[in-house]
Amino acid sequence: MKLNTKLYLIAALVAVLVLIALPREDKILSAVGIKDTALKIRLGLDLQGGASLTYQADLTKIPSADRAKAIDGVINVINKRVNSSGTSEVVVQTSGSDRVSVQLPGISDIDQAIGLIGKTAELSFFKVGTDNIPQATELSGKDLQNATADIDVQTGQPVISFQMKNDAVQKFADLTKEINLSGGRLLIVLDNQPLFNGTVSTPITDGKGQMQGFASLKAAQDTSVLLNAGALPVPIKLVEQRAVGASLGTESIQKSLVAGAIGLLAVLIFMIAYYRLAGLVAGGALVIYTLIVLDIFKLSSISQTPIVLTLAGIAGFVLSIGMAVDANILIFERMKEEVRDGSTVQSGMEAGFKRAWTSIRDSNVSTLITCLILYISGIPIIKGFAVTLALGVVVSMFTAITISKTFMEAVVRTKLGSKPSSYRIKEAKR
Amino acid sequence: MNIVGKRKLWFLISIILVVPGTIALFVWGLKPGIDFTGGQEMEITGTTNQSLAREIVGKAGVKDITVTTSGQDKLLIRYSDKDSGDSEVIHQNIKTLLAQNGLSETAFSSVGPSVSRDITRNALLGVGLASLAILLYIAFAFRNAPPPVSPWSFGGTAIIALLHDALLLLGVFAILGHFFGVQVDALFVTAVLTVIGFSVHDTIVVYDRIRENLRRLNKPFEEVVNISINETLARSLNTSITVILVLTAFFLFGGESIKYFVLALLIGIISGTYSSIFNASPLLVVYNNWKIKRAAKK
Repeated sequence: MKLNTKLYLIAALVAVLVLIALPREDKILSAVGIKDTALKIRLGLDLQGGASLTYQADLTKIPSADRAKAIDGVINVINKRVNSSGTSEVVVQTSGSDRVSVQLPGISDIDQAIGLIGKTAELSFFKVGTDNIPQATELSGKDLQNATADIDVQTGQPVISFQMKNDAVQKFADLTKEINLSGGRLLIVLDNQPLFNGTVSTPITDGKGQMQGFASLKAAQDTSVLLNAGALPVPIKLVEQRAVGASLGTESIQKSLVAGAIGLLAVLIFMIAYYRLAGLVAGGALVIYTLIVLDIFKLSSISQTPIVLTLAGIAGFVLSIGMAVDANILIFERMKEEVRDGSTVQSGMEAGFKRAWTSIRDSNVSTLITCLILYISGIPIIKGFAVTLALGVVVSMFTAITISKTFMEAVVRTKLGSKPSSYRIKEAKR
Repeated sequence: MNIVGKRKLWFLISIILVVPGTIALFVWGLKPGIDFTGGQEMEITGTTNQSLAREIVGKAGVKDITVTTSGQDKLLIRYSDKDSGDSEVIHQNIKTLLAQNGLSETAFSSVGPSVSRDITRNALLGVGLASLAILLYIAFAFRNAPPPVSPWSFGGTAIIALLHDALLLLGVFAILGHFFGVQVDALFVTAVLTVIGFSVHDTIVVYDRIRENLRRLNKPFEEVVNISINETLARSLNTSITVILVLTAFFLFGGESIKYFVLALLIGIISGTYSSIFNASPLLVVYNNWKIKRAAKK
């Protein structure tokens, strides 16, 4: 490929990269016909604030063949409980074989969420005879179609109105009829909390009922969420909880940005001071490198597996800047040697790229191995670090052998670029 | 620069640096954080009065309370609610008590024993696996190493350099833990593994040059090694300087949450640079000389 073609390609690449990296890229993209793209770097809970909860499911009573199904059931129920409106960015997923992790970004009241998630929410209907002994019936929470919390207009008290499912309407009618005739009471219990305890004046044939006795409308609403979500198939226990306030998250982002900018600037100054023209090339490559990584983060947000940027991930990225510069340094040092040994800047540059490659490859592979092992350790905070570091290493190898090389090829053809002194290389001893 | 010739001096410096920390490591050990022990950790804002914070949290009836500063205006409180009742109720109580004193919680973590057991197991497994994989990788990468070195002597000496860095890092944190209550968490394990990776990365660049020069130059092994170190010296130092520059920026301006993580990386990377220049390659020479001597005796 001709040098000019390569330079044009890089210019085109940079244009696309900048387009994607811009904060308002959706406006620009929709102008060229790509609509409804919400490219946004996914921030981890430690950066945007929020809570991560891990629950351990008690699967001891479940035969091993049904365990996966039980976990799916748990995830389904928790999803309905914490995301009853279906709009928030809550993520509920398995973590290992018997754990479920719940990510609640930007949540303000974590305790309410914990209260909601942890409840088994087993709904039972009892008939209580004149002897005051409750007798179980075959009705349960599964027979409930829906439940709505509201304020009763007559009493001003919070109530929950419920509707039985079609196939349970008859059973409920039979039950209320029986209670009505015997003069007993109907008792509805959620876990250990009675939701209804009273006589039935007329048999209920339409499957509609009302429960009262809630401390507040909020309490009634919470209970209705539990009723609608249904019971957990197995008991769960909160085993890990990590919560970061939104203000701490914002502070972390700001500080990281400042530190990142200072660090990057310091590296640029150092590289230019030490390698002069080549340092400038490395700086240009480093900026493109940063753009590529940023864009990969943004683009991954619309993929199946978005990369989540955490504080540890930022550290991984920072470290990868060092790796990216390292590839350039290896090449420039080689080039210096070649020129000192008598080659021209141009052929020294060519040889530098060729001979530094094995070092770049071998040393980066060892970092990639470490990343792979860090990733399979399965510890979330470590995974976040490993992903960004590995990404950085791979992208840096790409930029070193393509972008840096093309830039250098262009630079050495100029008058200034063909002089060893432009790179702080002492003239060859001839 | 005659680096290989002065190897005894470099080894001595390494010993002086590594031994105190290693002793601290064995005597005091590392202070494991809640990731490994399980327990609770909260960051609060509103006061820097440690005894006040301790008193407030103490009212909730929890054990093993430690209070350390976090940045300039925050405190880090760790406690264990084991055998003290329901975790959630206790956490609520503490939050109420804090609010009564005009303080508020900015972050909270609670790790149960089963989770901390898993983290510990995975962390140890990770360190072991990483070391093994790296040894195998080096042996593979240098499988066609020209005589007198064998692929395994490259791998073995790289591992010694790696242990040097890991021990120095662990030792510093054992000392920091003993005197300043600095705890190690899952991120620290990440730092150790990254340092291991970086140390090897650095060593490989030098070894790569030794391999190349062994084929090119017709000189005694010791001299080839010394030439190779000198040729790669600028690269080793410059790369480390760039990494140190960004890490220092993060250590100074990056906030409290990852301060010790960044410090661990800094220590490890400085140590890694030293060990790859002054330990790994001179050790190759030591090993080679020993092999020659042993062969002569036979």
